[in-house]
Amino acid sequence: MESALKSLWAESNRRLEASMRLNAVLLENNLGTAKTSLNRLMREVVFELAIDVAGIVLLGTFAAAHAAQLRFVIPAVALDLYAIALVVLGGRQLAAIRSIDYGRPVAGVQSQLEALRILRIRTTQWASLFAPLMWVPLAIVLLKGLAGVDLYAAGTGWLLANVLFGLAVIPIAIYVARRFEARLQDAVASRDAIRRFEEARP
Amino acid sequence: MSSDAAQRAFIDRIDRHRGILFKVAAAYCLNLSDREDLIQETVAQLWRAYRAFDGRSSFSTWMYRIALNVAIGSLRKETRNRRTVGPAEMAFLEQIPEPQSEEDERLSLLRTLIANLPPLDRALMLLYLDDYAYAEIAAMLGISESNVGTKIARIKERFRRHAQLIVT
Repeated sequence: MESALKSLWAESNRRLEASMRLNAVLLENNLGTAKTSLNRLMREVVFELAIDVAGIVLLGTFAAAHAAQLRFVIPAVALDLYAIALVVLGGRQLAAIRSIDYGRPVAGVQSQLEALRILRIRTTQWASLFAPLMWVPLAIVLLKGLAGVDLYAAGTGWLLANVLFGLAVIPIAIYVARRFEARLQDAVASRDAIRRFEEARP
Repeated sequence: MSSDAAQRAFIDRIDRHRGILFKVAAAYCLNLSDREDLIQETVAQLWRAYRAFDGRSSFSTWMYRIALNVAIGSLRKETRNRRTVGPAEMAFLEQIPEPQSEEDERLSLLRTLIANLPPLDRALMLLYLDDYAYAEIAAMLGISESNVGTKIARIKERFRRHAQLIVT
């Protein structure tokens, strides 16, 4: 069976090579600008990190400028903690991406890719879960910082509007969480399959 | 060596081993446009890693390992939308005319059997069928040599059910 399979495979490869051509000129022309999916992912993560770091700096500046007014410092600190957590998670993603070397053995690289996928999904889940809670502090800080408007002075109408807004986004938050839960389960199943593949079972 | 000359030398080396790109793409992608995307991504990844290529393994072994890593990584993204592959939509089928001879049928069946294996088993089988030694397969995949032997025996056992078609 072994030699029959191998000779059949050799024939398959021969036919494949006969039926396909590699456009070497086009490949060479694209080489300088070609980006791998890891390159693109790294750019995405760096961009997210840059936004989060900028947010931390701006929030720190805002908190310092309103240090005497606790009602503004508290929402700014809450947002700052959220942004710091995102920076930590983004930094872990960046480190994970940089550690991936496609020239290394396949099972190990696939494990790393799966771990990265799980980390990204969990980061997104975590960020989505807390995002609705950040809405009120964000509105307070943004309006005060950009327009000088004090939302605390707007009274109960504003509060009620934001409670309603919070209720309205709950179904969206549930939908997002479920969507990412399915992806997470898929990623965990893939990770387990790689582990099983790596295990030597007699 | 200038950048242009380095690129040309790299593409020449890739072109000499293009069969690796074709067979890996064909084993992991259903249609031609996906294969093209995968080959482009693989070549970009090979170019990115080329400076770190130290010649400890042969160029073809290194290229094969990267091609498999890119293919399996890409496949996982794709399976979010397309989890199962029915026999009628197996890889390669659009490439080859309707089975006309007994050999065409056997080729088609072999490709179908390979396409139905889990991604890492598929990589293992590709290397095995390409006549790599167990030790080389073990090193490329990052598993033990005895594990390679066990897995190949299991896959061959699965294939044996179709032996009447594969073996003349």
